[in-house]
Amino acid sequence: MQHLPSRRPPTLRVFRYRDGATSLQNVVGDGDLPLPEADLLKWARDALDQQTFVAQTVPFEGTTHSNELCFIPRDDHCDILSIHADSRRRHHGDHRRSLLEILNDLAAAVACGRLRFLDPDELAQELALGEAVLECPLTDSATVATARTDVTDALEHLGFSRERREETVLCLSEASTNAVMHGGGRGTLRLMRLDGRARMVVADRGPGLGFMNWFEAPGGSQASMGYGYHIILEHIDDVALSTGPGGTTLILDQHPRRPEVTPSC
Amino acid sequence: MLTARLEHEQEPVIYLAGEMDLDCVDLLRETVEKVGEGADMIILDFADVTFIDSSGTGIFVRLCLDLQVAGVKLRARSIPPVVAQVFDMLKVYALVGDEVFPS
Repeated sequence: MQHLPSRRPPTLRVFRYRDGATSLQNVVGDGDLPLPEADLLKWARDALDQQTFVAQTVPFEGTTHSNELCFIPRDDHCDILSIHADSRRRHHGDHRRSLLEILNDLAAAVACGRLRFLDPDELAQELALGEAVLECPLTDSATVATARTDVTDALEHLGFSRERREETVLCLSEASTNAVMHGGGRGTLRLMRLDGRARMVVADRGPGLGFMNWFEAPGGSQASMGYGYHIILEHIDDVALSTGPGGTTLILDQHPRRPEVTPSC
Repeated sequence: MLTARLEHEQEPVIYLAGEMDLDCVDLLRETVEKVGEGADMIILDFADVTFIDSSGTGIFVRLCLDLQVAGVKLRARSIPPVVAQVFDMLKVYALVGDEVFPS
């Protein structure tokens, strides 16, 4: 028996199946599973066994609601991205991309290894790495501007070309603005050096990311966040994200030179 | 930080300089208001803009669309590469119309 979703706005959920496990791990979001766990486990095992990307649309009969699911095999685990969508609401104005496109963008980034969703243990491991270069508070737009200037200088010392600095600092600005706008007003940025890369860690203690704001077109109802994460996924080599009711941490790893794009991506 | 200087040439021209981010919303709107009633075209000159992100872009797009509704034509000129790349990525030309960017 499927339960009709409550009238919450569409949200992204991420689950993880580890090879051999009998239950799923909740990585992003909370509340009930979008479907019976047995179905999700079966699809996740199939995706992992065959090392194939699996997409499922599961409609709620007699309604306009559906679950859009992507199963993405990665080494010893399978990440499951789920968006609970009401097809009547799938398009928010002419310029807003559909939820399905958002899901596919995120799934493609996970499949290419450019986006990782971190559970709390993985986040703790990642945060222990690297050598600190600088730290900036993020409390308002002035501190974001200061962070841009300081990081630009630091990236130059780390051997980033001008073009590479510009696109990296643009992404940093997007992440930092999001932390200021939606992150409870007290964020931090830390720049680390890690294996020849720059690692930028933008953390806040806000209520967790509202994923559906991520891809809003510029000039939409909320001018603040137009397409910010689209820019980040486009330009940053490796993005890792942990988000929940205790806050959001975004880790942006960038090489001084743009890596060769692998053919599968 | 962004600064805006209004010059009354053949049309009112707003010369922007500095960084266009979340902070520029009030400055842009106040400067446009100074143009006053009666103008049917306003030109934004981007030559000295050194940075723009999606927030700055969103504010520019919103301003364009609002002025279009009010019957005022907004024209953007002297777009430097650092701005053009972001506008391109965010499909600004399709959002506000190519006529905003006369070649």
